Amino acid sequence: MSKSKSKEIIKEFEPELLVFCCNWCSYAGADLAGVSRFQYPPNIRIIRVMCSGRVDPSFVLKALKDGADGVLISGCHIGDCHYISGNEYTRDRFDRLHSIIIQQLGIDPKRVRLEWVSASEGKRFAEVITEFTNEIKELGPLKLQ
Amino acid sequence: MDKVYQPNLRELLKKCYQCARCTGVCQISKVQYFRPSRIIQQILEGFEEKVLQSGVLWDCLMCNSCLQNCPEEINFADIVRNAKHLMVHKYGQNPEECVAHKGIYTSISELMSKLEVNPKRDLSWIPKDCEIAKEGKILYHVGCTPFFKFEFDELENVPISTLRILSKIENEPIVVLEDEYCCGHDLYWGQGKMEEFIALAKKNMKNFERSGISTIITTCAEGYRTFKIEYPKIFEDFNQKFEVKHIIEYVYEQWKAGRITFKIDEKTKEKINFTFHDPCRMSRFLPKSNTIMQKTREIFLQLEHLGYKFTEMEHNQENALCCGVSSWMNCNERSKALRYKRLSEAKVAGDTMVTSCPKCILHFNCLQNDYDEFSALKILDFTEFIINLVQITQKKKIKGDEQ
Ligand code: SF4
Ligand code: SF4
Ligand code: FES
Repeated sequence: MSKSKSKEIIKEFEPELLVFCCNWCSYAGADLAGVSRFQYPPNIRIIRVMCSGRVDPSFVLKALKDGADGVLISGCHIGDCHYISGNEYTRDRFDRLHSIIIQQLGIDPKRVRLEWVSASEGKRFAEVITEFTNEIKELGPLKLQ
Repeated sequence: MDKVYQPNLRELLKKCYQCARCTGVCQISKVQYFRPSRIIQQILEGFEEKVLQSGVLWDCLMCNSCLQNCPEEINFADIVRNAKHLMVHKYGQNPEECVAHKGIYTSISELMSKLEVNPKRDLSWIPKDCEIAKEGKILYHVGCTPFFKFEFDELENVPISTLRILSKIENEPIVVLEDEYCCGHDLYWGQGKMEEFIALAKKNMKNFERSGISTIITTCAEGYRTFKIEYPKIFEDFNQKFEVKHIIEYVYEQWKAGRITFKIDEKTKEKINFTFHDPCRMSRFLPKSNTIMQKTREIFLQLEHLGYKFTEMEHNQENALCCGVSSWMNCNERSKALRYKRLSEAKVAGDTMVTSCPKCILHFNCLQNDYDEFSALKILDFTEFIINLVQITQKKKIKGDEQ
């Protein structure tokens, strides 16, 4: 019986998602989501970085290469970065990452996402994660050989 | 896998008789402590495990200068490549610690080898006057240059000039594939990732067979060598099915066949003193019977009629100095010192340095940003250099076509 049960679990695809949160806004936002008990799917693993500008594009590629089905980078809203302009760099770099690398590799661009979430937006954090998880669920796993 | 991987290092090294010529010529040994002959002896005396564990072999530039000078033809770089596989899989070392640019570009190759989806390359760079096709005889393997656009803009013209040259000469559209894979060179030489390399080779082979091509043309020295030397090891019939040519060879053949000449627009005529940097993959890494270096020189001598002046650098052809980085491994102050030396030689030899490896261009350009004394030196790819000089005398004739 336990066997058929485990089969059922496999049927519903549970994506593994990696989320980079900047320490000053998004991580606090995620914290607030937890403290306020907003529900969101348990598919994400958060990595805290000091600023979204710390997220090197190679981290994203490495995550995909090692089996993540999607990667989300989140930081403070533009203008609010604790280090003044870190997130502006992130935004520019992210655009290039999307257009030059992710798309040309044939990976669905929806799998790599950028969102600004402030410390007071716990609700929004939960919503973003729910939306992202559902999107990836629809896309299915990122198949590696 | 066995065809490209030989884990018994002692077997490969046993002919070495410790003449230490390799240490004398080793390029990296000039800027750091690195003694290939010592390492060989240590392995032969049974300290293989210690050598591999210590990770010294990651420092080898894979430049092949040692093989050029070894009387016993010990292919040290190739042995290091095999050792790297062991260092990763047996000793758990992480090659990514030595990769430049945090491994963005090697990750791209790895993703290509692993992903089940096909790449979807952006072909918007293709100039309007060039026609491309999905099937045909001649394939232009663009390689990874379009991905380098992520950080560098200087290579944009390389594929464009190549395709222009090809379409000028050929009558039929050139094959450029949207789902072109990486050749796998960097994973193969840089990180000892043989499995990934073989996966890529198989994918490439499928593409080549599907598009019905018989000639593969590259602008990149690394891709050229990989297709020409490594792929036939994996696929026995590769050489029967495909002919691999570097764009220099191609231009040379067309010139010898009388289809093109080199001319210059009188108005734009200026005296150019130039020199040529031989990439390791197109000099030391090819079998001694190859003539590509001589062909390159022949073309350059022809250009002297146009007022160009070709001067060799102090170290040239198979003795050329290394740009300091291969397969995106180990870009550090030591490899920069090597690059500095190379550019110093280039500066003496001419105002323009031509090369045929896109990555060499990137590495040298990067050093130029750091040192003002080199900022006047122009570094060009062979295709960018030659594009305005190539004049068609007669187009290739299609059989049964009266043109
Ligand atoms: S040059 Fe060849 S034979 Fe001489 S020490 Fe080096 S590997 Fe051994
Ligand atoms: S390949 Fe180059 S760096 Fe490595 S041992 Fe030989 S000469 Fe030295
Ligand atoms: S600190 Fe939040 S994005 Fe820079």
